[in-house]
Amino acid sequence: MTGRETHKTKAFVLHCLNYGEADLIVTFYSSDFGKLKGIAKGAKNSKKRFANVFEPFSLTSIIFTRKSRDMLAFIDSCEIIDHYDAIRHDLEKTLIASYFIDLVDHFSPEGKKNEKIFELLNNFLTLLGQEKTSDAAVRFFEMRLLRLAGFEPTLDHCITCKTPVANGTAYYFYAQEGGIKCAGCAKPERYDQSISAGTVRTLLLGKDMDIDKIKLINLSNSLAAESRNILIGFITHVLSREVKSLKVLEQVRKLCL
Amino acid sequence: MKAYAQPIKRLISELAKLPGIGEKTAARLANYILRATEDDVCKLAESMVEVKRKIKLCRICLNPTEEDICYICHDKTRDQEVICVVEEPDALAAIEESGGFRGLYHVLHGALAPLDGIGPDNLRLSELLLRINNGHIREIIIATNPNVHGEATALLITRMLKEKDIKLTRIATGVPMGGDLKYIDKMTISKSLEFRRGM
Ligand SMILES: [Zn+2]
Ligand SMILES: [Zn+2]
Repeated sequence: MTGRETHKTKAFVLHCLNYGEADLIVTFYSSDFGKLKGIAKGAKNSKKRFANVFEPFSLTSIIFTRKSRDMLAFIDSCEIIDHYDAIRHDLEKTLIASYFIDLVDHFSPEGKKNEKIFELLNNFLTLLGQEKTSDAAVRFFEMRLLRLAGFEPTLDHCITCKTPVANGTAYYFYAQEGGIKCAGCAKPERYDQSISAGTVRTLLLGKDMDIDKIKLINLSNSLAAESRNILIGFITHVLSREVKSLKVLEQVRKLCL
Repeated sequence: MKAYAQPIKRLISELAKLPGIGEKTAARLANYILRATEDDVCKLAESMVEVKRKIKLCRICLNPTEEDICYICHDKTRDQEVICVVEEPDALAAIEESGGFRGLYHVLHGALAPLDGIGPDNLRLSELLLRINNGHIREIIIATNPNVHGEATALLITRMLKEKDIKLTRIATGVPMGGDLKYIDKMTISKSLEFRRGM
């Protein structure tokens, strides 16, 4: 018989699923084990052992046991490190934080450790809690996550003629091919939307920019719309599905934000 | 499941769709049904169909009822100018049982849950707005659950109603963060209504 091993790690709660009458299956993003699924026995009834700890995007410290890497973990204990109250008291911030963890969930295979993704989530949730919400922060999060997950789109040169991005040129983004083409190579149809070199440059800048500087970036409406269309189009293509939390975020924005 | 005859398999898989029922529990229930008298089984089946056929949502507050308008909305001794907004009928039931509230309700039939794709369009918010626009509402008490989804829903309603001249309050969360109203005792619910705070 192989024994159960006990582990301890920091982890963000991604989401929870009811399991049977009393249990929860919780998906975490942990710093030491990447995406991790565990069962919390009696979590729905127990006010003591698991008092309100499995709320989305909370940072927790968990202790779990499991027989092997591909077995469901058994959550022994879970303690809150940060509930991100400043996010929870703001509707838009709650929706953006939900979108961040939704993306991390979609782009992370189970059991693959990636400390940089954990750090990314940590940094951007902290930023979100402290600063005003901005489109730039959302787009830069997407750029960085895509890169860390190995899906970085090519934005620094035309994917056909390899000419580096130059000011004043119009570009077209091709999700299927994972990058931009210059107007000469793209042969755009009339309904294709061009994007400006400014948008491309902003996204390139955003993926490496110091986290403290992000709050200073204010995207103009056209820049915000162009960069949204590129990245959401690309993410939807890579995942071959719509990201639900983004749809809800945009629905709420249209309604009342 | 392989070992079961086809009709039993079907019953188990139908039962396993119910909330909180895993395959093991479903098999246990199926076994009970198998051993019960035909009369008992018919009563169970009929009661399920009857619920589906007879129960509709109250035209005013959307609480499940046999009538067009539920007994709460019918009761003229209740304060018609105060609406308590809840996520689900079971929260309404819990508040009613606490006895601490004498106004009307509005059931949203859900809460904002971005990760499950549940947005404002999936909640019964337009009915609430209609009630507010057509009536003399003095106060809206938001009694959504004290967890992320309920909190986000409360913030959403606050945003939607901020232009209106209505007092907006939220139940006091002596109710711990992460809780669900239906699991909370009567005393705590009464207190949380009494000590509600402005939004
Ligand atoms: Zn080119
Ligand atoms: Zn009613």
